[in-house]
Amino acid sequence: MFVEPVYSSLITLLIIVVACAELCDAVTVVDVYRLVQYDLGGVPLGSRLAALSHHAGSSLYLSSAGAAADLSRTVLILPVRELNLTFIRDYIGQRKPLGGLLLLLPPVFSPQHSDSGGGADQDSAKDLVKEVLIEVERLLIHANIPYPVYFGFEDEAVHAMLGDVKKNDITGQPATATTGGQSEPGHPSPSDQRPPLGNFNNYASKVQQSPLDSLLCVRLSDEPIAFGYQRWALIGRRCGPWLRRRAAKSYKLVVAAPEPRKVASPAIINIQGWLPGLKADGDSNQLPTIAIVASYDTFGAAPALSVGSDSNGSGVVALLEIARLFSILYSNPKTRGRYNLLFVLTSGGPYNYNGTHKWLRSMDQRLRETIDYAICLNSIGSSSNELWLHVSKPPENAYIKQIFEGFSTVSEELGLKVGLKHKKINISNPRESQMLSFICLALRTGYVPICMVWEHEQFSLRVTAATLSELSVAPDFLESTGGLSDNRNFINEASISRSVKLVAESLARHIYGQQGKSIDIFADHSSLSINPSYIRSWVEFLSTTPRVAPFLSKNDPLIVALKKELADHTVEVNVQQELLDGMFTFYDSTSGRLHIYQVASVTFDLILLLVLASYLIVLFSFLVILTRVISMLADYVFEQGLDDLISLFRRPSSRKVKTA
Amino acid sequence: MTMFHFLNCAILTFGPHAVYYSATPLSIILTSFLQQIRLVCLATFLKVSESDSFDPYQVLFVQSLSGIVESFDWVRRCCGLYFALTQLTHRNISQNHKFQAVGLGWAFADSVLHRLAPLWVGARGLEFTWDFVLQGLEANANLVLCLSLAALGSLIWLRKNKPKTLIPIIYACAGIVATMPSITSYLKRGLGWHFPKVVGFELFTSLVMAFISWQLFTACQRPSN
Repeated sequence: MFVEPVYSSLITLLIIVVACAELCDAVTVVDVYRLVQYDLGGVPLGSRLAALSHHAGSSLYLSSAGAAADLSRTVLILPVRELNLTFIRDYIGQRKPLGGLLLLLPPVFSPQHSDSGGGADQDSAKDLVKEVLIEVERLLIHANIPYPVYFGFEDEAVHAMLGDVKKNDITGQPATATTGGQSEPGHPSPSDQRPPLGNFNNYASKVQQSPLDSLLCVRLSDEPIAFGYQRWALIGRRCGPWLRRRAAKSYKLVVAAPEPRKVASPAIINIQGWLPGLKADGDSNQLPTIAIVASYDTFGAAPALSVGSDSNGSGVVALLEIARLFSILYSNPKTRGRYNLLFVLTSGGPYNYNGTHKWLRSMDQRLRETIDYAICLNSIGSSSNELWLHVSKPPENAYIKQIFEGFSTVSEELGLKVGLKHKKINISNPRESQMLSFICLALRTGYVPICMVWEHEQFSLRVTAATLSELSVAPDFLESTGGLSDNRNFINEASISRSVKLVAESLARHIYGQQGKSIDIFADHSSLSINPSYIRSWVEFLSTTPRVAPFLSKNDPLIVALKKELADHTVEVNVQQELLDGMFTFYDSTSGRLHIYQVASVTFDLILLLVLASYLIVLFSFLVILTRVISMLADYVFEQGLDDLISLFRRPSSRKVKTA
Repeated sequence: MTMFHFLNCAILTFGPHAVYYSATPLSIILTSFLQQIRLVCLATFLKVSESDSFDPYQVLFVQSLSGIVESFDWVRRCCGLYFALTQLTHRNISQNHKFQAVGLGWAFADSVLHRLAPLWVGARGLEFTWDFVLQGLEANANLVLCLSLAALGSLIWLRKNKPKTLIPIIYACAGIVATMPSITSYLKRGLGWHFPKVVGFELFTSLVMAFISWQLFTACQRPSN
């Protein structure tokens, strides 16, 4: 009658408990970032899987187990700090099977981490790791890897897990017939302690090496029972380490990620800002235009970590600051120059400047003809004092000479050194598709091509264009595009300020016809001084925003922010959206959460079951004996009385008395 | 093999109850057993719901207040036990076996309500902890304690002719056994003992109290002279 409310409340209580307890399952949850997955002209590259669910192993497992190790169900955890480059080159080059790969980066490479400085030796260690990281990145990007590869950051929880995994891997050697198991450091090896056959008394103390041994396998007794004792002890010696290893907990790494899907229509979004110059009354000719171009998107081994502070965050920040300075100058008609200024933030930089190419193609013919020259900014954030001006037209060209002289004059005043580098455009492969098919062929044969492309080359020889960069040689395909090692801790804001001053000053002198005169237009402590906090805030924003083009939509906060900033500084802003070239196909699922579980092996469960079964059997027999006997006794006493019980025992003697 | 681990822990938690049930001659009391389960469930459910609602306050108030709350808890246990022993009539069960049935029913209900849900939810997960094995050991200790308490309760209320000297000892032991949950929770929260230590203490005390109550029970079997 009152059963139903009781049971229904019980059921609701159970449901509540179940619902609450589902949330806490794993011991550790870590954010991890997946290796990029993309197709280049149909060739699959990068990591092709996202879901991960395997046991954890460290590099020590490989070295201890040797070549016979089967790692197809293991996730290798490799800290980049201790990475052996030849090992990983072999592993990926020979396409050895692996369950998964987890690369641990030092925290300094995290976009959220702000470097607190440190000494010179820390810097050199940082640079060493940076070089290793660049090499690893290059390997991973150009390889087809059929298992999931994730990047994570070192922290205490992961360190602890890795330490445990390493310990397990050291002791995880399979037992051979003679040794009976690998000895742990600090514990005497069992085989060393095998006494001569007759020496039993010493045996007892030496064989007890661990509580597990003594509990389960070894029977200790002071009086040696010759053969049986020895047999027990032998079992104990064999059992001990084997049991310890089987009972040792292993770790299981799980990333629950859906199947990666192609990014449907990867967009390239160019943002251009137009700052018109002062047209004299009655002058019907078009004013000449100067274009300042920078590509803002990045590409790296981990798209969710590709913040590209130097390549090309520094260029974007410089462009915005130059735009801000010129907008101040151009706001007043008295100081407005007779040049139009065009600020262009292009996308598709890593993909042979796809965005710049499309922007030029879609540009109005007349406008294109008015472009006097174009300056492209690429990686100007590192702390060297040397910059390079890369050109395609021969240095003897009058325009080039003029531009270079302008830059040299200003650079001397700033203490910078600007060099001129001339590189011819590769005319034999003028068409983009030809170049990319060359790349595909080269990748298939395993040879990484050396295609050097600068952004200014997209302007071809019709427009005078140059690239200002700290790099002296053009980077390889998909190199120096803002990868893992390119983050805030490796750039120098003062360098960006200096480069801004260099470009702005040279441009201004050219615009206002002040070349050769010693005048400091953007002097410090003036209303036109370079604003370091503006630069810092934009560097910080860009250093925490991954900017891989296929994953940016038109409504992305980054695009909106850049558009708004250019709109603040320029008169007219246009956003051009195009599709990324069909050669490139990208896949989503760029990050995930790694759950680390401590799991016990099957053998451990079996052992526990055996122990429990024996315990219950013992309990059962004990209870049967106890209760049946006692209840019999108690019933008998209760019903018959104690005297009868005593008389029962005394009856034979009383009979004896009687008969006697 | 997480289902496996769940099975292991379930065997450890509920196995002894089943074994006890099958080992002792209680098979004739199936219907009355279910009756007792129902009553015990009700009493225990009330205990559970009340203690849950007091939990947030325990955090805020002083430790002594939590002690007072838990003292209500053992009063309720004793009342429930009293009613179970005296009110429920059984057809063909002797007085001596009644306490075993009551104790077993109580312990089983306690285990089911307190331990089944966490076991089902937690032991099936991938993550391995020793918690559920320790919980099973705790269930074993709880079974022994419940049986001792039931034995002492039956001595107090059902047996009329007790040796005079033993009466205060019986009451003292009954008091200790009844307040055992409060003592363990004080150890856990007040002294901050770790779970394995608490379980070890529970096992030890349960065996000691079982032995003492067994001795008292057999001592009371002998009629007073």
